[in-house]
Amino acid sequence: MSDTPKLPKLLAISSPGGHWIQLTRLSAELEARYQVVYAMPAALFTERSRSERKVYSVMDVSADDKWRLIPCALQVLYILLKERPKAVLSTGAAPGAVAIWLGSFLGIRTIWVDSIANVKQISRAGKLAKKRADVFLTQWEHLSNDQDILFKGAVL
Amino acid sequence: MIFVAVGTQFAFDRLIRYVDEWATQHAVAGIAQIAGGEYLPQHLQWERFMTTAIFNQHLQAAELIISHAGMGNIITALESRKPIIVMNRQHALGEHRNDHQLDGLDWMGKLPGVYTATTQAELVALLERRHELQAAPLAADSRRQALVDFIDQAIRT
Repeated sequence: MSDTPKLPKLLAISSPGGHWIQLTRLSAELEARYQVVYAMPAALFTERSRSERKVYSVMDVSADDKWRLIPCALQVLYILLKERPKAVLSTGAAPGAVAIWLGSFLGIRTIWVDSIANVKQISRAGKLAKKRADVFLTQWEHLSNDQDILFKGAVL
Repeated sequence: MIFVAVGTQFAFDRLIRYVDEWATQHAVAGIAQIAGGEYLPQHLQWERFMTTAIFNQHLQAAELIISHAGMGNIITALESRKPIIVMNRQHALGEHRNDHQLDGLDWMGKLPGVYTATTQAELVALLERRHELQAAPLAADSRRQALVDFIDQAIRT
């Protein structure tokens, strides 16, 4: 990879907590192959995310909370237009689904990895994302239908 | 050596007390990370919070991890190849805002290397057979690698 001129850009976006832990475990492995830009609902920036990662802050939002969707969507739109990533990757929840929708409208490749915590069924945000995501992955084999819900491995 | 950790968000006195009482009876040494808890371990060494470096040091030194049902501790324990027992906080006891840690046991219990307890009796039963508890096998890493490689391919095509 020494003469690689420029790595393709990847926007990795999720909610804090478990979603973020899973996202960063995946993106850590992708950082050698992509220039990864992060977005997460504010506040919980670890020392590592501050010093070593480019992390945009977005407004936190839940699927129930239609009013905050608008500012959240505007922030995500700004990040997408500014960074022009080749792909969007999210592990959830609602802000990730927003990024999948907007990314898809902008012709960006979109990939959703449903959280490992969703073992009984696909998450609510996942169901929203699924309408638009180019690739939709579950981390549980029994939730895959081998068509539009794929199981290809898990963070754990 | 055992290591009990309840995360940084809330106390989990019940878990700390169960493990401390058991460790006292069996003269097992260990460290507890107790957050804002009111119960102070009598037998285990304890700290309220610790830096990631110190946390990892205790985790590496332990043969067994006992934790609240939180994603962070599970991932760290599995990546360090330590068996982990998780117990859920209960909303009814004021231990969390909701019961999602109980739901969490559903998936956590399906992972190799993770053992789940919802009651003191279940927790003690697991502690009694602690030498039989197995860490996650190395094969667990290939699941993540396969997922990452698939994502990489999916972006490129």
